[in-house]
Amino acid sequence: MKHRIWLVLGLITLGLLAGCASSGPERDINDPTNSLVFGYIDMDDAPTKVSSAWMVQVAPPSDTPYWGLGVSKGLFYNSYLPPGSYQLSKFGGSGFFAGQHEYSFPRQGNQTALRISKPGIYFLGSYKYKKAKSGMFEQGKFKIEKINKPTEAELLKRILDESSDIKDSAWGNKIRARLAQLKS
Amino acid sequence: MIPRRLTFTRARLAFTGLLFIGARSACVGAAREPVDSLSGLGGDETVVVGRIELVPPLRKDEQKLKGLNSGSFENKVFLLADEHYRVLTEEPGMADYAGRIEAILGKNFFVRSHSKPFFILGGMMYLDLGGREMNRAYFPGGLKVSIKPGDKAVYVGTVQYHRNEFFEVTKAAIVDDYDRANAEFKKKFGAKYPLRKALLTPVK
Repeated sequence: MKHRIWLVLGLITLGLLAGCASSGPERDINDPTNSLVFGYIDMDDAPTKVSSAWMVQVAPPSDTPYWGLGVSKGLFYNSYLPPGSYQLSKFGGSGFFAGQHEYSFPRQGNQTALRISKPGIYFLGSYKYKKAKSGMFEQGKFKIEKINKPTEAELLKRILDESSDIKDSAWGNKIRARLAQLKS
Repeated sequence: MIPRRLTFTRARLAFTGLLFIGARSACVGAAREPVDSLSGLGGDETVVVGRIELVPPLRKDEQKLKGLNSGSFENKVFLLADEHYRVLTEEPGMADYAGRIEAILGKNFFVRSHSKPFFILGGMMYLDLGGREMNRAYFPGGLKVSIKPGDKAVYVGTVQYHRNEFFEVTKAAIVDDYDRANAEFKKKFGAKYPLRKALLTPVK
């Protein structure tokens, strides 16, 4: 019975998260004010992989500050963020034995803080999950450490390869131009 | 940065954590007591008067407090204070909160202290509390409160913490707002005892 209660709570939470996903991005992918924001997280040392990711808009103030990110094997991205200030808010993931996990980032001292003043392509960086020491009654803690691989170019290529929506949109040419710039 | 991981199977622990927070207010040493009357002030005690401000001010939706008693944390900064100066290098523990000053943002505090100098080691404010996340913002300290023997009341100034949208403190300034504080002091306590100006000074 206890397990069922947690399952129900988990389903309710997933429902709420799905609500958040649809609340943010009501924008055309070809909107010229869009920015593409992306990054990578290596979760090899984490209890689960990442299956959902969220950024929070901290400025300008918004009633719907959470923006869902596309997630694929550690790569996370959003291609329709308007100008503003953002940071990673949380990752979610689940595993058969590990159960449902949520990885929350702090609101202060968040190393993924990003200010978008003009539309463009923004690389948040590649990170690796590391477990951090926590007290007996505390929630589990973790930290993320910046890593060199995969590179910005490798991830942009993956976005083109894995998302036909992005490849076939105005982003296709912009990403190719950025790749050329990174190559030179 | 120490992000937090919450598992649904550990949600019960999070609930325990909330109980723990409630219990913590009972476990940690007492805060410096707010003073309403100077008649109860001991011979070796001083009223410390000051104010904390955020620039820009806290927006209504920036602090998310839920649950029983969480309202008591609204707009409140916990100033960690000690007679012995030290630098806090990690998240403060329960012991660090003993003797704290509980300051409501934008309002003068009037708290009872021993008539000895002490130090503001740092500050903390809850940003998220009572939901599935707990987030705190920390503020820098390293400030000395210069109380002299015989002081009945000292004014330490307004600490303005300038911050950006990511809650990073970009500047801390001590502002002399003595006239306004003194007017409130006289209204509250009368004119029998002067409010000596002794603005906070950075620890060298």
